[in-house]
Amino acid sequence: MTARLTPLVLSVVTIVAWGLVLGVSSGRAELVVAVLPLLLGLLRIGRTGTAANGWTLARALSAPRVFEGDRVTVTVTVSAAQPVMLLELFEPLPPTLRLASGHNRGLFTLRAGESVEWRYEVECVRRGRVNLGTLHARLWDRAGLQAAETSIGLPGQLRVYPRPLPLRRLPAPRRMQAFVGNYVAPSLGEGIEPGDIRAFVPGDRVRHVNWRASLRFRQLFVTQHHQERNADVVLMLDTLTEAGAAPATTLDASVRAAAALTAGYLARKDRVGLIEYCGPFRWVRPGSGRAHQERLFEALLRADVMFSYVTQEVALVPRRVLPPQALVIAISPLIDPRFEKALVDLAARGFDLVVLSPSPIPLVRRATRPSARADLACRLWALERRARADALQRRGIAFVDWDPAEPLEAALGGASRARRRGVAR
Amino acid sequence: MRRAAAVLSVVLVSAPILIASSTAVVGLGALALLLCWLGILVATPVLVSGMVLALGEYALALWLSGGPPRLAGAALLGVVLLVLLETADLGRRAHGATLGPGVLAAQMRACIVVAALTGTGALAASAAAIVASTALRLPWAPVIAAAGVAVTLVAVAFALCARRPPRA
Repeated sequence: MTARLTPLVLSVVTIVAWGLVLGVSSGRAELVVAVLPLLLGLLRIGRTGTAANGWTLARALSAPRVFEGDRVTVTVTVSAAQPVMLLELFEPLPPTLRLASGHNRGLFTLRAGESVEWRYEVECVRRGRVNLGTLHARLWDRAGLQAAETSIGLPGQLRVYPRPLPLRRLPAPRRMQAFVGNYVAPSLGEGIEPGDIRAFVPGDRVRHVNWRASLRFRQLFVTQHHQERNADVVLMLDTLTEAGAAPATTLDASVRAAAALTAGYLARKDRVGLIEYCGPFRWVRPGSGRAHQERLFEALLRADVMFSYVTQEVALVPRRVLPPQALVIAISPLIDPRFEKALVDLAARGFDLVVLSPSPIPLVRRATRPSARADLACRLWALERRARADALQRRGIAFVDWDPAEPLEAALGGASRARRRGVAR
Repeated sequence: MRRAAAVLSVVLVSAPILIASSTAVVGLGALALLLCWLGILVATPVLVSGMVLALGEYALALWLSGGPPRLAGAALLGVVLLVLLETADLGRRAHGATLGPGVLAAQMRACIVVAALTGTGALAASAAAIVASTALRLPWAPVIAAAGVAVTLVAVAFALCARRPPRA
């Protein structure tokens, strides 16, 4: 910590110089006497120490893991072993955090052995790993004539997860897996959904006997049931590019949608996997359960646009990551043609594929100044998107256009209808 | 903090008006007050220019009124200058910051002590100067005073440069 003179010294010297010059030129001693207190005040430099470093800092967060939009209370504790004249602390906030209440700068005076707590509240505006990290400290002398500065690294890791959007209905997978779940499978076996009726054979349970049919035909019949199975769902996230201004970019909308779909499908006991397509692939294998949800959310936290010339083929993704029976929900703004190529590849391989496309147009319009030229550009862009969507639909891919300002559930409802028709819009 | 500085600046510019309430003094005082208030809100250099203007107003008032030297009043005005500068600076630092318990009380205590010490020091120095001037009649007094001012300023500049940390 190196002490330095502050600009206040220059101010004092300036006033003193003017006072002395005016005093001499006017021949009045009062002006010289008037600046004497300022001159005497300069004698305090170095006497009220800024060299004292007998103080420590500790930082605590009210919650280390939060969702977007949540508030976190940051508590900084300053403890002094020696008297501290005037300590100024400043904590610069990363762009993903916004000050909600209090101040991220504080001034403290401490006696020996005293400790002070300083609290302020921040709002987490965007997902990500946030490191509050460095805290800047400036130790002033009483007069403000001398200051010493230092930066102190304190642990302050905050994980801001994407807030899942509310979803009640999800696109149902066409193919099931072997494990128990919430979908009614076409295959017959143990379950509660009634299926076919057949003649009784030795070994059938009495409780499965269909008494109404048995009485009518004077022969025992049993009711068969459909099995309830789960499904594999793979979310494919396009991180090749994004449009719009943070925290409302297409990638933010995509990640929120992915978080909502993850939470929704995992609540239905499905296995959910994630493939992040950023040129090369990054993935999380399909799995289920609470721990897996944490794993997926952690992967979504890292999801970011990474420029790359690399374009990998879908064939490189292992079968255990992209099971052949899986429902693939691709979330993409359809800006980069490389992702479209991957989608066509997936469709050609016979995957049950749904494309959820958060539209970049309203997000970009919100970020730009309205003008006739911008309107024209957006209309052309909308036409181009429409052409791309039609091209995908002609290949039998269900396409869902989603304005991120609208509820996701309404858009996904359109997906179900489109998949039933075989042609999606 | 800013309100206290604003009140002190009113005291600073009104003191010369009490000595000589001419139009020029009042006009200069109003301009100085405006600059001081602006400086308290915006930046210290503006405040300094307002204070320098107030000193000019004081010089003008003294020149217009004539009469014997008012050294006690001058020392008091000097204390106001010092406290105003430090209060405004602290106000600027404290603006938009959380103030810990006891910060204001400690600063106020320190300010009172400094004001008392520097005021007393200024009065003692002026008394010593009066005694010296009656005992010792120097020829070319204005030249010696000007030389003294120059020596003082150079000495202050050297002292401050010596305290500056070496450049890397």
